[in-house]
Parts: sequence; structure tokens; C-alpha cells
Amino acid sequence: MKFHFTDKAITGMMVVVPEQERLFADDMRLFNAPENRSRKLAMVMGYWAHRVVEEGVCASDLAEYGFRKLFADGKLKPEEIDALVYVTISPDHFMPPTSCILHGKLGLRRDCFCLDVSQGCCGFVVGLLQAFQLLEQKGVRKVVVVNADVISRKVSPKDRNSYPLIGDAATIAIVENREGAGDVFADVRFDGTRAMALKIPAGGFRQPSSPETAIMTADHEGNERAPDNLVMDGTAVFNFVMADVPPMLADLAHDAGTDFAGIDKYYFHQPNKFMLQKLAEKLDVPYDKMPNNVVENYGNSSGATIPSAMALNDAEMLCRETKRVCFSGFGVGLTYGGIVMNCGGFDFCDTIYYPNKGE
Amino acid sequence: MDKNAFLDELANILDESSVEDSANLRDYPSWDSLAVLSIVALADSKFGFTLTFPDVKGLTTVADLWAFFEKSRTK
Repeated sequence: MKFHFTDKAITGMMVVVPEQERLFADDMRLFNAPENRSRKLAMVMGYWAHRVVEEGVCASDLAEYGFRKLFADGKLKPEEIDALVYVTISPDHFMPPTSCILHGKLGLRRDCFCLDVSQGCCGFVVGLLQAFQLLEQKGVRKVVVVNADVISRKVSPKDRNSYPLIGDAATIAIVENREGAGDVFADVRFDGTRAMALKIPAGGFRQPSSPETAIMTADHEGNERAPDNLVMDGTAVFNFVMADVPPMLADLAHDAGTDFAGIDKYYFHQPNKFMLQKLAEKLDVPYDKMPNNVVENYGNSSGATIPSAMALNDAEMLCRETKRVCFSGFGVGLTYGGIVMNCGGFDFCDTIYYPNKGE
Repeated sequence: MDKNAFLDELANILDESSVEDSANLRDYPSWDSLAVLSIVALADSKFGFTLTFPDVKGLTTVADLWAFFEKSRTK
């Protein structure tokens, strides 16, 4: 579906990552794979360090920590939040919605609209579009988009295909109407025939978790995982991204009256360095316009990667200047989408660490 | 990209100094998911076609792989 908005702006951004950092060099010892190949994998994919929560920490804990910091710093007031869009594939519970839990903990107004959105890699794009739609309503001034996931809790540490690349994070984007901000163009597409390419097979109603779904088995490469764990068909996902994302973005750029050269910055979902470099080559965009370093610093945190890429690379610039940017997310669903808009002049663009509680 | 350049690229992907036409791909110690992904990326960027995991499964030797690249290439 194509979208068009005018005068919408991101006005502030907060990124919360766990204090706990794991190094690929340590993860490597758990894999049933030759060390030289794991090292090559790390070089190609950009594996170095990733940040994961301690046992028992939920995505909403990271988000709550970020909100409390914003309230304490006077950068956001609970009473000015008109809507809370909470995007996650790792909700605290099936019911109630996690946005409602946060609503209660943060003391938000009764007429603050709360919405959980089940989206992964494209979650920032989908969440932002949801916020823009809410801002079309009279009286809605400030919408907060939270992207929060703790995927590490669903990935087997013995799965070399997934474990080294994942990270946990929560990001908070403040979204408002701003006169003169300009046009926003967006496009989001879906291919549900390939919905199962990225999945957590067990734990829902289709296949409830049981002692059996926790039993790990090894695949042909020695990666061990259970039906309770996340599994992805990496090659199929790569092919999907290379085949379907560039034409969608070319259409989007055309709709926005520009081309790839006319866009200053590409903040894309961060699956791994390799895929982002191949995407940049395909779009004929220089690497420095498309940051690809979130995986090596934090890990791939699903919908939180785009705000993470912005805060990690361009926090100062985004507070000082306004750029023509392209956001794009692709993955779980399969969902793929993009937004072209002016972005910058943030009131803040902060990164904080969620403290370790245990040893 | 011609055959020799392709073989050099494949050798590089498999951490070998060279690869032989008749060799079974799965006999190379470095034949793993990273190698397959690198070959899939090579097909996409230098040969202009989408190579899938099932395609690769059906190929046995280095010569089979090159023949498939030759047949499928659009550039």
C-alpha cells in the first residue's frame, strides 16, 4: 500500500540497549563449526559484539527504562503523549497488550490511544506510518512509537545462523506534526506465501510450548535448535531482499520525485553487514550513505535497528541538520517497506544502557 | 565474468588455491552455508540471476555449478 502525508516529523529519539555485551569470539566456542569458517563468517557478516538482556528481562522493561530517563530529563512528559504505538514480536504476554502494561506503569492519560503492532524487521516503517495516520486526527499532537524486542531469548546460542547476529533493544521515537516539514512518501508490501521463512515455530496457539518443543536437534551443519527457537531460511531471505526490495524502493523514489542519488541517507534495517553492502551495490549507493554497523556493535534487534543506526552514526547531525532520508525495513511477514521524508532537527537523539541486575 | 574468473571467485569463497571441474562441491571442507550464501550473492551481483538454495542442492560438481551459471546468467 502506498501512503502520502505532509508535514510529519520525528522530533526526538531514544535508544536503549542492554549493558550486557557478548563477543562473537566467545559465542564461537558454542558452535559445532570449524573456527576458521566462523572467523570468516564474522568478517563477512560484521559480527563482533552484540548486546543481549539478562535472563527474565522483557522488551517492555527496556522501553520503560527509556521513558523514565526521558521523563527525568524533562524531554518528554507523560501527560503530553496522545498515542503509544508499541511494535514488537516479543510481547510480554499474549494478553494484555504490552502497550497497556506500559500505559499503566508510565501513568499515561486515559485518552492516550494504545496499540500493539506485531511486526519485526519492518516494524519501524510500519510503526511510523501508524503514527502519521494517528496524527491526522484533530487534537493529536504527540505520538510515541516504541520498537522493542528481546529476540535473544528465543534464539538458540548453539545456532550459528542466527545467534551471533541478534541483539536486544528498545527505541522510542517521538513523532509530531511540524509545519513545513514537507511530504512523506511510503510504500509497504507483503508476501504472505513466504510467511514461514522467518519464524518461531512453537509457543503460540498453533503449536503450544511443551517439554517436547524445547528439545534441541542439530541441522545438517550442526546448528542446534528447538521448535521453541527462532529459525530462518537465510538464503531465501537474502534472495527475497535482493529481488524485491530494490524495485519497491525505485518506485518509492519515483513517487517522491527523486532518484537514489537524490537521497542523503539510507537508514535501513540491519540484518547483517553483508546484505546491506549488497543492497547498497544494487541501488548504486555509496556505503557511507547506508550505515551497516549496527550488527557489529549491538546486533540485529528487529524493528529497533533503524533508530539504532541513526543514533549510533548520526546523532549529532540529526539534531543539527535536516536531511532527505530513506528508511527501509524487510523481513518477518514477509514484509518490506520504505519511507522517503525529510528528517532531522531532533530535540534529542540519545543512547542509554539498561543496567545489568545480576552478576 | 568468464569461466576462469568464476573459478577464481569460487576458489576464494571455498578458501582453496584453485578448484577443479570434476570436484564434488561438498567435498571441500569449507562448503557451508556461508559458502552457499556467497555463491548466491555472486549469482545476483555478477551474473544477474536469482540462485536459490534448492537450485544449489541439485548441483554436484564445480562443472555443474558453472553450467548452471552459464545457463541462467542475464549479464
